[in-house]
Amino acid sequence: MTTPDTAVTSEAGRSHENDPLNNVDVIIIGTGFSGLGMGIQLVRENNKSFVMLERAADVGGTWRDNTYPGAACDIQSHLYSYSFRPNPDWSRVYATQPEILQYLQAAAREEGLIPHIRFGAEVLDARWDETQERWIVSTPRGTFAGKSLITASGHLSDPKFPNIKGIDGFTGEIFHSAQWDHSVELEGKRIGVVGSGASAIQIVPEIAETATHLTVFQRSAPYVIPRLDYFYTDAERGMFRKFPHTAQAIRDELFWGNEARFPQRRGVPAFIDQITEVADNHRKTQVTDPVLYKQLTPDYAIGCKRILISNDYYPALGRPNVTLETDGISHIEGNAVITSTGERHELDVLILSTGFEASDLPISHRIYGKSGASLAEHWSNGGQAYACTTVSGFPNLFVMLGPNTGLGAGSIIYMAETQISYIAGALKYMRENSVSSLEVTAEAEEEYVKTIDERAQGTVWLSGGCESWYVDPRNGRLTTLWPDFMSQFRKENGTFKDAAYVVKTHANQGQPMFAGGR
Amino acid sequence: MSFYPGITEGTVRADGVEVKYYDSGEKPGGGAPIVLLHGTGGSAENNFAALLPMLSFRHRVIALDFVDEIPEESGPLALDHFVSQASAVINKLSPGRPVTLVGYSLGAVVAALVAAEQPELVRNLVLVAGWMKTDEQQKLRNSVWQQLHDSQSAALAEFMLLTAFSSRFVATRPPAELQKLIAGIKAGPSRARKMRVNRTVDISAKLSAVRARTLVIGCSDDQMAPIRHSHALFGAIDDSRFVEISSGHAVVHERPAELFTRIDNFVQGHASDDAGAVLAPVHA
Ligand SMILES: Cc1cc2nc3c(=O)[nH]c(=O)nc-3n(C[C@H](O)[C@H](O)[C@H](O)COP(=O)(O)OP(=O)(O)OC[C@H]3O[C@@H](n4cnc5c(N)ncnc54)[C@H](O)[C@@H]3O)c2cc1C
Repeated sequence: MTTPDTAVTSEAGRSHENDPLNNVDVIIIGTGFSGLGMGIQLVRENNKSFVMLERAADVGGTWRDNTYPGAACDIQSHLYSYSFRPNPDWSRVYATQPEILQYLQAAAREEGLIPHIRFGAEVLDARWDETQERWIVSTPRGTFAGKSLITASGHLSDPKFPNIKGIDGFTGEIFHSAQWDHSVELEGKRIGVVGSGASAIQIVPEIAETATHLTVFQRSAPYVIPRLDYFYTDAERGMFRKFPHTAQAIRDELFWGNEARFPQRRGVPAFIDQITEVADNHRKTQVTDPVLYKQLTPDYAIGCKRILISNDYYPALGRPNVTLETDGISHIEGNAVITSTGERHELDVLILSTGFEASDLPISHRIYGKSGASLAEHWSNGGQAYACTTVSGFPNLFVMLGPNTGLGAGSIIYMAETQISYIAGALKYMRENSVSSLEVTAEAEEEYVKTIDERAQGTVWLSGGCESWYVDPRNGRLTTLWPDFMSQFRKENGTFKDAAYVVKTHANQGQPMFAGGR
Repeated sequence: MSFYPGITEGTVRADGVEVKYYDSGEKPGGGAPIVLLHGTGGSAENNFAALLPMLSFRHRVIALDFVDEIPEESGPLALDHFVSQASAVINKLSPGRPVTLVGYSLGAVVAALVAAEQPELVRNLVLVAGWMKTDEQQKLRNSVWQQLHDSQSAALAEFMLLTAFSSRFVATRPPAELQKLIAGIKAGPSRARKMRVNRTVDISAKLSAVRARTLVIGCSDDQMAPIRHSHALFGAIDDSRFVEISSGHAVVHERPAELFTRIDNFVQGHASDDAGAVLAPVHA
């Protein structure tokens, strides 16, 4: 008899030996928008030596996991999609989760990625082996060795659970919105939703209609602006198909429209006034009850947290069977949530819409560099990376959507595509120059991060008086968001240059050369 | 209202008038200051409410309000007055240090003249939706404008909206936003005097004297200074490169971020923009 642990290991060992992709040029962790996009780039360059490790059983990442009622993007689909795989058939301006998931599944299939993907292959541990100059990656499906390692494991992919006393003893049904339990019947139930962020405001209108009673536990009121959604006509979809430049024109317009919102985040009065007016008008038009109005009026500067878009959230809160609870949760007792003022809310179902582990990325605890220390240890003072992508002490590692790549307003796909271009450039450089190890210098990393910290000063995220996942609670640094224009991100970080790197080639073994010195 | 926290305001005298300017202040390690010249319908704030803050994150930016009410003895109002107002501001705020001069619409005409006549003031020149010689299409539009203006027609603001913005922009705005834009035009500063200047613009003989490194920005759907004029400016100026932005004449409102990015790239000195280059479109 083997223990469960050794069973895993021996099964792992077997598949490892048999797997033709157990020793490759490139290992990609994750098959969401980022990982698939990276894989597509490699395939299109005719680079076939790569494996993609995915812990789940399907591709899609965020859009596979977030199946809650009402799940949809809040950046327009013609922009929130790959530039290199335009989709003329988006049904509406803001596509819902099933349509986005189908888009990603089709991309994986049609681009020939499926044979490269190992499902059920959660990366448990990845270590840089200095003698072999390879990353050794352990998964339940075996060990994989790769010259380069790309993490595309998501920045909003591991649900974050609230720290509420007694939550483990809750006697009703309880689940996180990113792990929706579809077996739980919601009709006729007393339901609680914890949170009032991007997911909650999509869920609440959907379940308010059939719940007996719905209680929304809000810690801080979000700013909400109108959602200008619209179903494309057959004529328009035909036009996008036959005249791709018409869809491109919409994409460009949306991109520049978002880009023009950046001065809002730097406290430029004219911009703040304009967007505040839009949000205030929306609230005034949609919320008539004075008590509710007061509860829904944010107490921090606009843009400090994500500005949400919805036309049906406020009306849902105005329904007679819906309660907005702003007193704060004290603890949970049996099937009841008790507020700080002692009020009891008895519930059948509790939905946690409390966001994700964004600043302390779980994958960073599983990656070990040259010194044997983990990426999380390297990042104990907050995540940081040169060009937002490479890390000193971690040769041949590329981090996608890691430190300072998130956006306050804009499509994250633009950032991912920029990194794809940078990483593809680095891999090409490594191939062409027989590079065995490429490592950014600690000085270059520090210098780069300094420019980010400088740019973060004066942004609403640091000075807006709110608590958000944009800022690392351990040190107050803005580590998740990019504090500049998106075009500037591409200008700085879209093209690989070797200047900041120490490069070891197969020819100069033992005598690393500092590329910057050439 | 201020464009940007910490902007300073002041005035300088030129040809007997007080010219108001705005200065975002020195940036540590910054290059040449950027000076913005507004167009016919505008003021610095009206035209550059978006562009100035965007540029000022990285650069020192200066803007001014052209004065079109000038003392009788220095009249009638002509381009020369605007040229001396612009150069007075440059001389005061950036003495001995040539600037990046950005002109929009009529401001582009003035900027090109400053660069031609006082090359020592201008290191880089950016001409946005400009022109060099008013043609018959422009005169006709100007004449319709004049008739609506003189008869105090309620249709004037709508006519201006239709000619200033691209048709796609107008078609896709929510109705409330359109009404707001129209109201804004109605409340805007009078443009009658500058419209008179517009009718007689002809700087074609001067442009060969422009020595500054130049970026010409034309707008694809411009009906007020149609893009062929920008093509001609690109043809006329030796050390120039060209870029097209998908927008109407009102590019400062329709596509401020793209405009900003093009100017910022140009100032940062991209390798691909050699003289004579037509810059490739950037797609998101
Ligand atoms: C509900 C919701 C709506 C959103 N809407 C928008 C929007 O409108 N616009 C926008 O720009 N952004 C939006 N986002 C942000 C969104 O996360 C990103 O846009 C994008 O989907 C991220 O893609 P990704 O591939 O980087 O990460 P993910 O989609 O999270 O994919 C990561 C993948 O890695 C896998 N993985 C993680 N760890 C491991 C491991 N150890 N081993 C193996 N596999 C692993 C995961 O299973 C997953 O498949 C939204 C996010 C959510 C949650």
